[in-house]
Amino acid sequence: MNKSYSVLPCNGLDKCAGCVSKEVALLLTEETDSKIICPVFYRVADAKYNKLLQETPLLVIDGCATRCASKLAAEKNLKITQKINISEEAKAAGLTLSDSLRIGDTEKKLAENLVKKLIEKERTRTENESSEATESEATESEATESETTDHVTTKKEAYEIYKKDKFVFRLPKKEGFYFNENDVWAYVTGRKARIGVTDYAQKSLSDIMFFTPPAIGAEIEQFEEAGNIESGKAVFEIISPVSGRITAINESLLEAPELINQNPYEEGWIAELELTDFESDKELLHSFEGYFQVMKRKVDEFHV
Amino acid sequence: MSESTFMGVPRDQIDWSPRIDYDKCNYCMECVEFCPHQVFEVHEEEEQKFVVKNPNNCVVFCRACGKTCGVDAIDFPNKADTTKHIKEIRKEMGENE
Repeated sequence: MNKSYSVLPCNGLDKCAGCVSKEVALLLTEETDSKIICPVFYRVADAKYNKLLQETPLLVIDGCATRCASKLAAEKNLKITQKINISEEAKAAGLTLSDSLRIGDTEKKLAENLVKKLIEKERTRTENESSEATESEATESEATESETTDHVTTKKEAYEIYKKDKFVFRLPKKEGFYFNENDVWAYVTGRKARIGVTDYAQKSLSDIMFFTPPAIGAEIEQFEEAGNIESGKAVFEIISPVSGRITAINESLLEAPELINQNPYEEGWIAELELTDFESDKELLHSFEGYFQVMKRKVDEFHV
Repeated sequence: MSESTFMGVPRDQIDWSPRIDYDKCNYCMECVEFCPHQVFEVHEEEEQKFVVKNPNNCVVFCRACGKTCGVDAIDFPNKADTTKHIKEIRKEMGENE
């Protein structure tokens, strides 16, 4: 049945956030056909859950920033469809979780709200999926590329390369590319820009398994966060090189965040913005030459 | 490993690092474990179990450790002021060249 998940919850029995994770998982099984994957059992014997994981979208519930459930999913090479973090959700809702391991009214309410949201999300996702399928059948031969997808050529000579041991770090030479020292690029055309992370960022993270996009319509200042990406290793804040309003996000990353690993400058782009003050932003950005030196220094310092 | 400059400005002239509110902190140590740049140092035996030991190792404009804090005990300097300050120093440096 649709609109149900395989749920991999945090098993933090010694933290309130962990106990809320369990409550969310339980409520989901009661209100939908979702099934719980016990993280403890899954670690020692995954065969029990393999069929379930193949058949239903995976929801990962992390209790806190340690992200044990996400890390387990990364370890087992699972594709995550949806994911929440109880501590972050509590913060966003302005709630303080108690120290008690028995959940109280506040926690119960939070869990119920989260479950509502998750059911709604899965409903929209499956609806989008089926309408996309119909659309793509109808327009199979038509070009569906967005107007800006030809930003960068795929030619090899478009990149300068810096090698360190077995690692190859690419950097686009094309004019219009700007970089901040937080390893994020912006490709500027007129009053618009597309942003993404550099090869250095994606290689340091290794396999990217989740993308949290910035909100469309959000006004972002230079050096403010524009979403984040996450690997088994870490969460990487995407620090925007430019100020502006988010006009689009790369929706294919929601299904396939690994595109960032494949090529962070082309199919792995993050978002598009309408620029508000690029002349001023530019003062604190590098062109290709400047960032290439920064990148080499970072590679030499960190990738030893 | 410290980054010696940021946009050509000596790192020690840029005041950017986490500020810990020890009254709020519950010493869960998530931030310490998170930061890969050795900004923090653990002092297990002392009342303040960790300190911001190497503020200049902190990546300018990174606020990621703050996100790991469940009790919101980590704050950062004002971003706009910092940006302005960096631009001013760059301007001065350009004039002195």
